[in-house]
Amino acid sequence: MEITMYHYLFIGLLLFLIGLLGSVLVKNVIKVLISIEIMLLGVNINFITFAAFCDNIRFDGYIISLFYVGIGAVELAVALYLFYLMYQKKESDNIEKFSDL
Amino acid sequence: MIDNPVIFYSASVFIILFALLCLFAKNVVYSLLSSIVVFFFGALFFYVLGSEYNAIIQAAIYGFAVPVLIGLSIMFGGGKTNVKSKRTLSLFLPLCAGIFILAFIYLIMMSLVIMPDTFNPSDVLQVNSFDTIRTFARALFIEYVWAFELVSLLLTIVIAGLGMLGVHRHRGLKRSRGGEK
Repeated sequence: MEITMYHYLFIGLLLFLIGLLGSVLVKNVIKVLISIEIMLLGVNINFITFAAFCDNIRFDGYIISLFYVGIGAVELAVALYLFYLMYQKKESDNIEKFSDL
Repeated sequence: MIDNPVIFYSASVFIILFALLCLFAKNVVYSLLSSIVVFFFGALFFYVLGSEYNAIIQAAIYGFAVPVLIGLSIMFGGGKTNVKSKRTLSLFLPLCAGIFILAFIYLIMMSLVIMPDTFNPSDVLQVNSFDTIRTFARALFIEYVWAFELVSLLLTIVIAGLGMLGVHRHRGLKRSRGGEK
């Protein structure tokens, strides 16, 4: 059975939806951050898939996913530092207690 | 590109299972370990799709560096990581079912819209490592050089900003301790 583009897009979509589910439902801040990273991984898989299957000249999807990795790491570092500061104030990692940010 | 159904389906099953485990594990350390597995399988997908460079970057940053950051945050959090939520458990099954139904509808619609023979990778794609790296270098340093420089600037600003915040906080703590004495 041949693996087509839709298979990879399907996996990317599933990862995106799982990350979305986690970022909406889970109350732990660290799990929410991990969920956002899973969402970004799904988007990244879609970029790579389109670059591999549709763009055989410039590979724009590869470059965009490379930038995403840099930006995603920066976003995570800043979010974790904010979490650290908020944790020292609130003594909790429940996201509902951070509503007065 | 590696067109092997065994690799694809086994990696797909593992990445979905570990992504779900990552969200719904009670202990956040288990979530972190599951997320490492998810990121490594993401790197495997990139490798299978013919992008070795992205796979290496993904494995290095998301497989090693990001888990260290999250692990440090868990350590600073003191280990009080159990958050009980009845709403999460009650919504888990219907939402999972909804996700799978939506995903299957999406797959069917995509397969109806785009004919599979349109994108045959063996006809349009000739990728090897040298060409991929050369294309990356050309794109990063010629076509996307402004974006590259902006990302570099952003990384520098973040590092400097976090350092400044840390220094200010350290001085504030010293002052408050001095005031107490």
